[in-house]
Amino acid sequence: MTLACNQFDVATNRREMLRKSACGMAHIGLISMLAQQSTATAAFSETIDIRKSSHFRPKAKRVIFLFMWGGPSHVDLFDPKPKLKDLEGKPLTSEMVGGKHAPGGPLMPSPFRFSQYGEGGVWISELFPELAKNHSDRLCIVRSMHTNGTAHGEALLNLHTGTSNLVRPSVGAWVSYGLGAESENLPAFITISPPRGHGGIQNYGSAFLPAMHQGLAIGAAEIPIQKAKISNIGNSKIDLETQQEQLNLIQAINRQHLATAGRDAGIEGLISSYEMAFRMQSQIPTIMTLEDETSETLELYGVDKEPTNNFARQCLLARKLSERGVRYIQVSTDYTWDHHQKNNKELPKECARVDRPISGLLTDLARRGLLEDTLVVWGAEFGRTPTAENSDGRNHHPSAFSIWMAGGGARGGFTYGSTDEFGCHPLENPMHMHDFHATLLYALGIDHKRLTYRHSGRDFRLTDVFGEVRSELFS
Amino acid sequence: MRADLRNVTMSRRSRTVYSVSFTFLIVTFSHLRAEDIDYSFFEKNIRPIFARHCYACHSEKSGKREGGLTLDTPEDWMRGGETGPAIVAGDPQKSLLLEAVRYQSAELQMPPSKPLTTAEIQFIETWIRSGARAPSTMESRTVTNPSDPLEGRKHWAYQPISTSIIPSPIDDGRERNAIDRWIAHGRAQRGLKAVRRTDVITLAKRLSFQLIGLPPGDQKLLELANDPTEWAIEQFVDELLASPEFGRRWGRHWLDLARYADSNGLDENFLFREAWRYRNWIIDAINQDIPFDRFLLEQIAGDLLPYQSIDQRDRQRIAAGFLVVGPKVLLGIEPERQQMDIADEQIETVGRAVLGQSLGCARCHDHKFDPFPTKDYYALAGIFTSTQVMEQRYMLGQQRVMERLQGLGETGDNLDDAYEQYWRQHPEKKTKRDKVKSALDILIRQNECEIQQRLISDPDLFADDVKLPGVNTDARLAAQRKWFDELEREVANAPGIPARAMIPMDSSNVKDESVRIAGKFNEHGSVVPRGFLTVLTEQGESMPPNQSGRQELARWLCDTTQPAGWLMARVQVNRVWHHLMGRGIVRTVDDFGRMGEQPSHPELLDHLAHDWIQNGMSLKSLVRSIVLSETFALSTVSDHDNETIDADNTGLWRAHRRRLEPESLRDAMLDAAQQLHLGWTESTVHYLGDQATAVGQNLVRRRTDIPFRSIYLPVIRNDLPELFDTFDFANPQSTTGARPITNVPTQSLFMLNDESVMHAAKGIARSILDESNDHHRQQLIHRLYWRIVQLPPTEEESRLAGLFLEKSLEKMPGSDRESLESALALAAHALLASSRFQYLD
Repeated sequence: MTLACNQFDVATNRREMLRKSACGMAHIGLISMLAQQSTATAAFSETIDIRKSSHFRPKAKRVIFLFMWGGPSHVDLFDPKPKLKDLEGKPLTSEMVGGKHAPGGPLMPSPFRFSQYGEGGVWISELFPELAKNHSDRLCIVRSMHTNGTAHGEALLNLHTGTSNLVRPSVGAWVSYGLGAESENLPAFITISPPRGHGGIQNYGSAFLPAMHQGLAIGAAEIPIQKAKISNIGNSKIDLETQQEQLNLIQAINRQHLATAGRDAGIEGLISSYEMAFRMQSQIPTIMTLEDETSETLELYGVDKEPTNNFARQCLLARKLSERGVRYIQVSTDYTWDHHQKNNKELPKECARVDRPISGLLTDLARRGLLEDTLVVWGAEFGRTPTAENSDGRNHHPSAFSIWMAGGGARGGFTYGSTDEFGCHPLENPMHMHDFHATLLYALGIDHKRLTYRHSGRDFRLTDVFGEVRSELFS
Repeated sequence: MRADLRNVTMSRRSRTVYSVSFTFLIVTFSHLRAEDIDYSFFEKNIRPIFARHCYACHSEKSGKREGGLTLDTPEDWMRGGETGPAIVAGDPQKSLLLEAVRYQSAELQMPPSKPLTTAEIQFIETWIRSGARAPSTMESRTVTNPSDPLEGRKHWAYQPISTSIIPSPIDDGRERNAIDRWIAHGRAQRGLKAVRRTDVITLAKRLSFQLIGLPPGDQKLLELANDPTEWAIEQFVDELLASPEFGRRWGRHWLDLARYADSNGLDENFLFREAWRYRNWIIDAINQDIPFDRFLLEQIAGDLLPYQSIDQRDRQRIAAGFLVVGPKVLLGIEPERQQMDIADEQIETVGRAVLGQSLGCARCHDHKFDPFPTKDYYALAGIFTSTQVMEQRYMLGQQRVMERLQGLGETGDNLDDAYEQYWRQHPEKKTKRDKVKSALDILIRQNECEIQQRLISDPDLFADDVKLPGVNTDARLAAQRKWFDELEREVANAPGIPARAMIPMDSSNVKDESVRIAGKFNEHGSVVPRGFLTVLTEQGESMPPNQSGRQELARWLCDTTQPAGWLMARVQVNRVWHHLMGRGIVRTVDDFGRMGEQPSHPELLDHLAHDWIQNGMSLKSLVRSIVLSETFALSTVSDHDNETIDADNTGLWRAHRRRLEPESLRDAMLDAAQQLHLGWTESTVHYLGDQATAVGQNLVRRRTDIPFRSIYLPVIRNDLPELFDTFDFANPQSTTGARPITNVPTQSLFMLNDESVMHAAKGIARSILDESNDHHRQQLIHRLYWRIVQLPPTEEESRLAGLFLEKSLEKMPGSDRESLESALALAAHALLASSRFQYLD
């Protein structure tokens, strides 16, 4: 008898599981767990038909989150502020922003030209030409984001886990827990080139959720993706044939052990875990290679061209993972968007690295019919001040910044929320990070208030006691 | 108009959503058994319905008893109103309440205004069918507030420790001590029968791994196999308890609770360069079997205790590092919020580790389930906010607020001051040096006009002798150069990091804390005198005005004349039971509150707690009495009849098969390869920069190729050794009483491919070939098994492993010995990866 490989020794029994699964009934993580107990094919977790088990009708089946580590400047990219030009060099005072906090330094206008694109007329700066030209009517731009944390570490943790002073599961882990994996060979949550600092592994950790929901890391932010590895996938010392024989021996010993033990969930789990591991090991190299991609596709993303090569490969990998049913894929840049100096010189360079790859990703997903159920999100831990720091840089700014979404039912050619005339604080429809998380889960068919986990005597959720779904972002 | 349209659309959508979740409910209910529905189901699903739709007319609180019915307590609904019992537990058909909410008859339709939703009705039906259970807080009418400490006293875990009469033997004479009698008694009540005792080799392995985390030596196994008497086993247990390796396993259990780590974690993962001193203190304290009350006192208040020698002072101070090693948000945080967050982390850690209670909830509101009102939380908070664990220090090029360090030894404070002062003055001195250098350059150029000008404009940059009248050029140069050299030396000669440790101190501003409204750090409510949890306190103690009260807190936690001590004792003995048996008597080892599970053997738990207190809270005696029981020695074999009754083995009719923790996995692997260094070591993170994780330019990462036992491996938060991360090591960011046990493919991939496993396998193969010249294949396989799993292979295993060895050998290049070693290493690798090695029978 083959059992699900992710048996939990301590929490195998159903009573315990229900205790943990909070509202007991109305809980989809629970469904996935129950399903696993009774089926033979379960891999990382049971394949779930999202239409049957979700809280809402899902807009998207999976998410690709493009993370610009460091915090790009919203007033230079998606939130034009002509007023900055008028008051260039003047200080920003609290009175000018409705009595709220005003960052120090003189106001610094954006030197970049903004235009409106597409039928929806969304504003995009000249730094994203490909995105603007090819996908403006796919973008749902949120200009009124705000979050907590003036330092990167705190803000990264808020972005990825909803809190910074406590260790909580990451967004991807919650999604994995809530929906399970679509694939038999791959986990539900994979993170490409994650940052090792600013919370590091916590940003894709599972905290108290079962370990299977932790993101599988491919490489790390500072490692070029061509050199990136997944730990212990493959063995350079033992050839495949020998390893297969070795595996046969391991499994034979396991079965001999099981024969004397009688029934044992642990040993049974170990046996299926080896099967799964070997399948993963044979699958992943074929995903990591780009050999089977056409030259036209490589060209589309900007592979082997500079400055796009690295991010292009990351994006292409993300597409391949989404094709294979990975639920939550994060793609991170290196720590390159933190423009305390020379914002006007450095920002164009960073945008040039990602513009074509992102545009290529959206095009590729669309033509493969994947974009309609893949929600692509572009964003960062915070934005940057409308005022100058170090004469030509911009400082951290969590009070207002922009993100955008595309595909997965997101309302294209649409701009949501606004900021004051300096891009300093949200005006209409402020969207806190918690609201964003609630909305993201909503897109996947999950009610953020009902996706809970019982830990240390109480129920936890991604959005704690906060979060308001913005369903108007979806058509 | 537009808005209306929108509403219509919205409501249609919500109806769709609704029916989806309804289908879902049906699906799920069919999986449920009655016992699955516990009290939390009521809290979560039923109480809200009653509160929203029923209590307005049927509650003491609202003062309305329409139809003579109230629904405040189980007693109320079972008695019912004028028409009869509202609820018959387990029988939905006879429960009038269900009839009413279903609107089945025209006379009885509740709530009268609008029917409940289908889902709500479904919840009620499920709840009634499963026995209509409600939390004990509802059992009596007077409980209306779960956080009320006086009511809370009734909870089982806060009762005095009972000393029930030990049941007489019933189990065919197999019981060896009181533990066995209680367990046998429990089994008999449920119709369970103990399986056989395990064989002596398996028992010896179990004892050795549980007590010291390592396999027993060959010699010992041979001895025991020849002399499997009780006396020999006792001898063996005593040897294990006396071994310094005992502290290296049991110290780690406490470090899980102490959320021990070598770095801060969270937002800025700075290195805790000195945390290892606390780790080593724990190992020593466990080996010395310090009574638990003293063990705890030193960790909570070691810096405040009297001492007879500097050495004793330092040891006590190091112990108090317990309060300092928690994770803290370091940047971008208001100082007051940071202080409250740190106190919260400490309260949560102490509460969970010592009392098995989560107190953090009471930071923002009265506890929803357990009897801790917010004011109790802030009474404790005052103790911790009157304690200082942070200070300003130099790190990574600037002054930062960091964990507090203090010098050790006679001159420690001075050395520490000198070190910090050096770095405080460093930037200034560097500037000064550079300026003096520029003045020197002026003198070298010998432009008299420039020199005179600068002597007037910047006299401070020139040495005094330079300014003397009539001094010649050479003398001027010499004087200036001398000064520059002095400064250069001062800048270059950074003092070494002095011996110091993470040590808290009482704040100079000891004060009571005010309640923070809804937990917001800057919204102050009324001030609460420092103190303890009311529910666990019989006589309060007044707090010293000039001290934080940590000593008093530690004494209160272990005061066995009060509820706190009773609870503490139960929690601690349960932890030991959990580690030795694989499950706690209370399975929720960190939650002894109302939401936690009840003890499976309450009398036994109290018996253990009572004995432990009588024995001076000695860990070793407690461990000894448990492992010498027959219960500990049962086989892990499965049994159909028992399984039908008790699949979870709560009745302990057999032993739980255990998975090796990552520490034992690694240590046993290295041990088999004869590559493990026993003994102790100091820091294993000294080579790391102040940033503990590799970020940006910093590429130095924690090492794992340290030949010492795993307890000494670096515990870098967010960058644990891969082995730890993969095999369910405790998350060092918070207290862990029970590690999760998972079975995921990344573990298999680790065993198949990780360099360290292959390295160990190679070492095993080499040493097996070295120890004897008999290289007969079956003989080698036999020795391999004995070395790695202390068992002979089954016939089939022997055959298959032999075949594998032959086949691998064919493919190997090189000399006979070399290829044999490589082939044998592949077989050793397979055995390490198998369940025989990873699981402990």
